[in-house]
Amino acid sequence: MNSHDLLLIYTGTIIEDDSLTLGQLCRACGVNADWVISLVEEGIIEPEGKEIHCWHFSGANLVRVRSALRLQRDLGINLAGVGLVLDLMEELENLRMQLKITGDVT
Amino acid sequence: MQYKDYYKIMGLSRDVSQDEIKRAYRKLARKYHPDVSKEPDAEAKFKELGEAYEVLKDPEKRAAYNQLGANWKSGQDFRPPPNWDEGFEFRGGGFTGGDARNFSDFFEQLFGRTGFQSADTGRHYGEPLRGQDSHAKIHIDLEDSYHGATRNISLSTPEMNAQGQLQVKHRSLNVKIPKGIKQGQHIKLAGQGNPGVGSGQAGDLFLEIVFNNHPLYRVSETDVYMDLPVTPWEAALGAKIKIPTPESVVELKIPPNSRQGSKLRLAGRGLPAKTPGDFFVVLQIVLPPATTEHAKAVYQAMQQTLDFNPRQFMGV
Repeated sequence: MNSHDLLLIYTGTIIEDDSLTLGQLCRACGVNADWVISLVEEGIIEPEGKEIHCWHFSGANLVRVRSALRLQRDLGINLAGVGLVLDLMEELENLRMQLKITGDVT
Repeated sequence: MQYKDYYKIMGLSRDVSQDEIKRAYRKLARKYHPDVSKEPDAEAKFKELGEAYEVLKDPEKRAAYNQLGANWKSGQDFRPPPNWDEGFEFRGGGFTGGDARNFSDFFEQLFGRTGFQSADTGRHYGEPLRGQDSHAKIHIDLEDSYHGATRNISLSTPEMNAQGQLQVKHRSLNVKIPKGIKQGQHIKLAGQGNPGVGSGQAGDLFLEIVFNNHPLYRVSETDVYMDLPVTPWEAALGAKIKIPTPESVVELKIPPNSRQGSKLRLAGRGLPAKTPGDFFVVLQIVLPPATTEHAKAVYQAMQQTLDFNPRQFMGV
């Protein structure tokens, strides 16, 4: 018997496309709300909902916020630059995916 | 403990100026930043780079490090000489930079761990504090999403011990992978993040789903793609053939006159979800090798009977 078999099995919740509030997102990334608001103002992340108190964020937003944080901290890029980097990275990712689907790259 | 050659890590000679160190760091940081780089060991390289820069950017730490001498080789067993840091003032809270908990034993021996608690300044001692949320990636196979699964993950969490020092604690968790989970989705495990301080609640753990590369299948959102090698006569005449899918082996009908690269769709056989994805078969026509007399004769017969010019559209 594997030692893993003795451990409890944890069941988590899936973060759906719009399941994080501003507060939860800030807590999950260890940042303050002002900073997240400035990301939204810069168009780096786009929450669902019009007013701040009904904003909802996706799991993909979570990844972007954490990347933005690291890029700003480690490379000293301003928010406009962070937005540009993230958009270009996303485009690159999509192109790589396309290549994979057409089967030219393994 | 192993000696670390910070100059070598940054690709610099020992006599460079502070400005050159900064420029070299900026350049390497862009190259190895884990959010940007596709180098396989980018994360480890970036950590090493951060540690090297932490020492070399600070003239005082750099001077102390230089004093150890230039004869050490990277990876060599190292003990700091007694009183090596005499006359330097960085001990006792000198450094503040990067994520110091990731730095090596070598760094810690030389420059101490005093920087860690700086984040807590201004907080009353003993006040309960909610633990930080933590993040990890969990790699699963495509089949795990089709059927649901339980996966074991190992986590390293920094924890404060009774003396207020940080220690890295390793633990292992079994996590249920829900059926139909997609690449890039997150699973949240409440209370499994970093422990709180005092009576503070523990943080949450966020697991980002990453699919392992599969030898047969490729995934895009909820759709799954597979290349299927077929013979020229199967493609030309049509055929019924057995193909693997992540769920089971199924029979696929290839329509007559199929072309290289045609996509056949098996609706609803992609990743399971409220609206399940589709399974796409991409036909790859494989020519039989003309290595025997018999095979050559077949190709020659085709040449003579078929009036076929694939370059007609080129006007030649």
